[in-house]
Amino acid sequence: MQNRRRFVYPFTALLGQEKMKKALLLNAVNPRLGGVLIRGEKGTAKSTAVRSMAALLPEVPVIAGCPYQCDPFQPGKLCINCKAKYNGELPPFIWRRVQVIDLPVSATEDRVVGSLDFEYAVKHGGRRFEPGLLARANRGVLYVDEVNLLDDHLVDLLLDAAALGVNFVEREGISYSHPAEFILVGTMNPEEGELRPQLIDRFGLCVQIEGETDPTMRVEIIKRREAFDQDPLGFLGKWSEEEEKVRQEIMTARHLLAEVTMTPELEELVTQICTEALVAGHRADLVMVACARTLAAFYGRKEVSESDLHEAAEYVLPHRTREPSPPLQEPEPPEPGEPDEPEETEDEQEQEQQQQQPPEMQENAQEEQDQSPQKAPPQGVPEIVFAVGEPFPVRRISYKVKGILRRGSGRRSRGQTATKSGRYVRSTRRWERQDLAFDATLRAAAPYQKRRRRDGVAVVIELDDLREKVREKRVGNFLLFVVDASGSMGAQQRMVEAKGAILSLLLDAYQKRDRVGMVAFRGEEAEVILPPTNSVERAQKLLEELPTGGRTPLSAGLMKSYEVARAHLYKDPDIRPLLIIISDGKANVSLGEERPLAEAIRAAEMIRDEERFKSLVVDVENSGFLSLGLAQQLAEAMGAEYYKLDDLKADRLVEAVHDVLEA
Amino acid sequence: MEQTIEQVVRYIYPFTALVGQENMKLALILNAINPKLAGVLIRGEKGTAKSTAVRALAALLPDNQVVAGCLFGCNPDDITTMCISCRERLQGGKELDRAKRKMRVVELPVSATEDRVVGTLDLEEAIKKGEKRFEPGVLAEANRGILYVDEVNLLDDHLVDVLLDSAAMGVNTVEREGVSFTHPANFMLVGTMNPEEGELRPQLLDRFGLCVQIEGILDPGQRVDVIRRRVAFEEDPAKFCSDWEPEQEKLRQRIIAAKKMLPGVQVPDKMLYLIAEIAIEMGVDGHRADLIMMKAAKTMAALQGREEVGEEDIRTTADLALVHRMRRKPFQDLDLDQQKLEDIMGGPSHRHLHAHAHKHEW
Repeated sequence: MQNRRRFVYPFTALLGQEKMKKALLLNAVNPRLGGVLIRGEKGTAKSTAVRSMAALLPEVPVIAGCPYQCDPFQPGKLCINCKAKYNGELPPFIWRRVQVIDLPVSATEDRVVGSLDFEYAVKHGGRRFEPGLLARANRGVLYVDEVNLLDDHLVDLLLDAAALGVNFVEREGISYSHPAEFILVGTMNPEEGELRPQLIDRFGLCVQIEGETDPTMRVEIIKRREAFDQDPLGFLGKWSEEEEKVRQEIMTARHLLAEVTMTPELEELVTQICTEALVAGHRADLVMVACARTLAAFYGRKEVSESDLHEAAEYVLPHRTREPSPPLQEPEPPEPGEPDEPEETEDEQEQEQQQQQPPEMQENAQEEQDQSPQKAPPQGVPEIVFAVGEPFPVRRISYKVKGILRRGSGRRSRGQTATKSGRYVRSTRRWERQDLAFDATLRAAAPYQKRRRRDGVAVVIELDDLREKVREKRVGNFLLFVVDASGSMGAQQRMVEAKGAILSLLLDAYQKRDRVGMVAFRGEEAEVILPPTNSVERAQKLLEELPTGGRTPLSAGLMKSYEVARAHLYKDPDIRPLLIIISDGKANVSLGEERPLAEAIRAAEMIRDEERFKSLVVDVENSGFLSLGLAQQLAEAMGAEYYKLDDLKADRLVEAVHDVLEA
Repeated sequence: MEQTIEQVVRYIYPFTALVGQENMKLALILNAINPKLAGVLIRGEKGTAKSTAVRALAALLPDNQVVAGCLFGCNPDDITTMCISCRERLQGGKELDRAKRKMRVVELPVSATEDRVVGTLDLEEAIKKGEKRFEPGVLAEANRGILYVDEVNLLDDHLVDVLLDSAAMGVNTVEREGVSFTHPANFMLVGTMNPEEGELRPQLLDRFGLCVQIEGILDPGQRVDVIRRRVAFEEDPAKFCSDWEPEQEKLRQRIIAAKKMLPGVQVPDKMLYLIAEIAIEMGVDGHRADLIMMKAAKTMAALQGREEVGEEDIRTTADLALVHRMRRKPFQDLDLDQQKLEDIMGGPSHRHLHAHAHKHEW
């Protein structure tokens, strides 16, 4: 396990990305800074930097043989074993480099927090705790690559441990706790989704990085990387002197750190800066002071200067500032007057963030930046104009924080799945799906092996031991658009507006990785123009080309969509279809003998009776003196949410869909 | 049909007998010469010989030198990529036994489960001996081989994450189901996808070194060739393969020669600046595009038997490295502005045709 050293590109040979490098070095100097979050586009040496930082970390005294790397000089922080064993004496210790522990995105809970030692239990019949990653990370660096892709459940575990500095384990008949103080380093590409605000706040520092734009720099980057790829050992040798120099600098700064002082005036300045930045809580103040002191030590000074503070602010504030901060595209502030401590609100913020920070928007925003020096969006809502061959622009959507708890839709909403697909995160005693969690079952059976009759095998498993996998899957929604393409839709730009509305929903679906399908009806019949697919792109293309004209076979459209949704449900029972009917309700063709409207109402009732469907009717009829209100009747029969296109426009529609999905 | 499958198992359709799809073949060969090119993504319709080409390539490649008995097929001459046990043995002063292994193609089915991909707890060992042992998965099997993912865009998100992680680091770290293990996972990732069925996440797109877009062949003459050769192969695979053997051997030798030559190929500064300029002007994210463009051009030069990278090499290979890395808006097609690329390269636009004509010559 100790031989995990990899041949990674040397830290000092990294070019550019000065802020990222400094943030990492500062953490190496002062482990109390609370880690760093590196956000940046793909291919900017994020992971390389973190992994190569391991070689620069200082050596620390560690109690020999302790799985938690206890500090021999900190009697108060010893683990239970060490406490019992050394009882006041100075334990034997070794010097060891601070470790960078990888938390892979495929990790399961048992390996993160630790679990029952299965081998020991089988052989000796006793229960013993087997330390997990949090134990290994104690006094070290815990590195989570693609931290925004980590399962929510594991994120919660990390948060708990990070907050307390202790890992409490209560599972599989084991009750144990051990110190777990670690520097949390995470890298992420914001294109892939945002982090929860609670987790973001845990990171002491945050840097945002981009690719270099200077050709000379880029050329040098290529050269060095190629030199490394061709001869890693030689390259490492060439840079070893430089590495040693930085290592020494870190050591010097570490020693100096304890002596660095700060004047009361500057302390006041800290609070002032933090207040102005509207940060939540006090963590920012504390981290900023620590960061400024570390910077001073790093520069070889014993006193913090004002410039240190301003520099510190660049690392401490970006992810905490609650005012829109254009260069970083940070989360929007919550609605003014909204308190933000309760759990629910946090969740909403998360929601809000997810919805306001989809990757595409950031791209758009970035492009905007490229062209002009970025007009800061007015407080509140970013307005992004988006036109895709449509004669009118569709506004992007604002999400108001409401007093209800919202679960996100799409790929960010993780449902526990009933099928055997999805990621195995933990196990349960409930035995329903025959989905054996073998490791957990073994652990459950292990302690009893001494007592059971074993015929030639080492482990006898009884029914009672069986454990089942709890799997999580990022489930998207299935949005089935049922579009009225009849002649009446052509009047007064109705279709243009309806298309705009659908487009805004498609855009939302694209960001959430929802599945979409489309049924159109006109003339005599309904047609599935897009079978359920993940390719929102195709839906968009088909929508653009969708012709209008002819009569309105509404009931045919409804029946067809009923079939499509049913078939989909059969295939994927985890995903509840949402039918979005866009029509004026003026049915004038029927399938059978009945009057068109009556038939449509009957079809609507069928949809209502299928409990697993959700539905939403968008009425495109002009409101006014002559309006018939047929679509409203339809919505009532269907038990659907009802909206008028006039009230909605594109921007409210997306919100309406979310409301239905979350109801 | 049964019989055909049997035949294919015994005889693999020769790479050199594949008709057309020059871009795809070039991308695969470049990867075979230089594994650091980090794989190929093949985008295109069904029935365009994608998987045939991948298998054919593996059959064409020379055998790997491996440490005998090593689960991961470690390279006995490269300590930097060895698994822990091989490295410890070597550092302990032990001689590593050598063996030869055929180039592997490991297929990752879309329905694969995560435990099979990353590896898991060895069931048998646990029950029989009460011991915990790591049972390697697909990633271990694919080390130093080709990992082939058909319909990669349909893969579950969580599997994609796992792939990303190992593809990027060349290492598979397992912390699950009671086991904790790390092993090398350097593989050439070849993915195929039909863009009509949904796009890949940009992050994963970027991990594929090269990308080609292919279409069915439209030229009637070539189409007839496709049928004729296929029929000939199916009727008498042994004869067909032996007929093509001289061609195969020629290409094999070229690849071996290029492999040998590659480390010595120089890239003049002027060419590096051209690459950087292309990357900046075309507006790609990050630096991976630069690196891959350079490596691809270098490999191309080696394939052509030249010791210095010239503009032609960049011209022939730049689009392979760029097409999937362009920033784009939602709903925008993956597309490369060839004209713009040409303008940056300073050539008149009609040279674009030359670039393509050139590709057929490699």
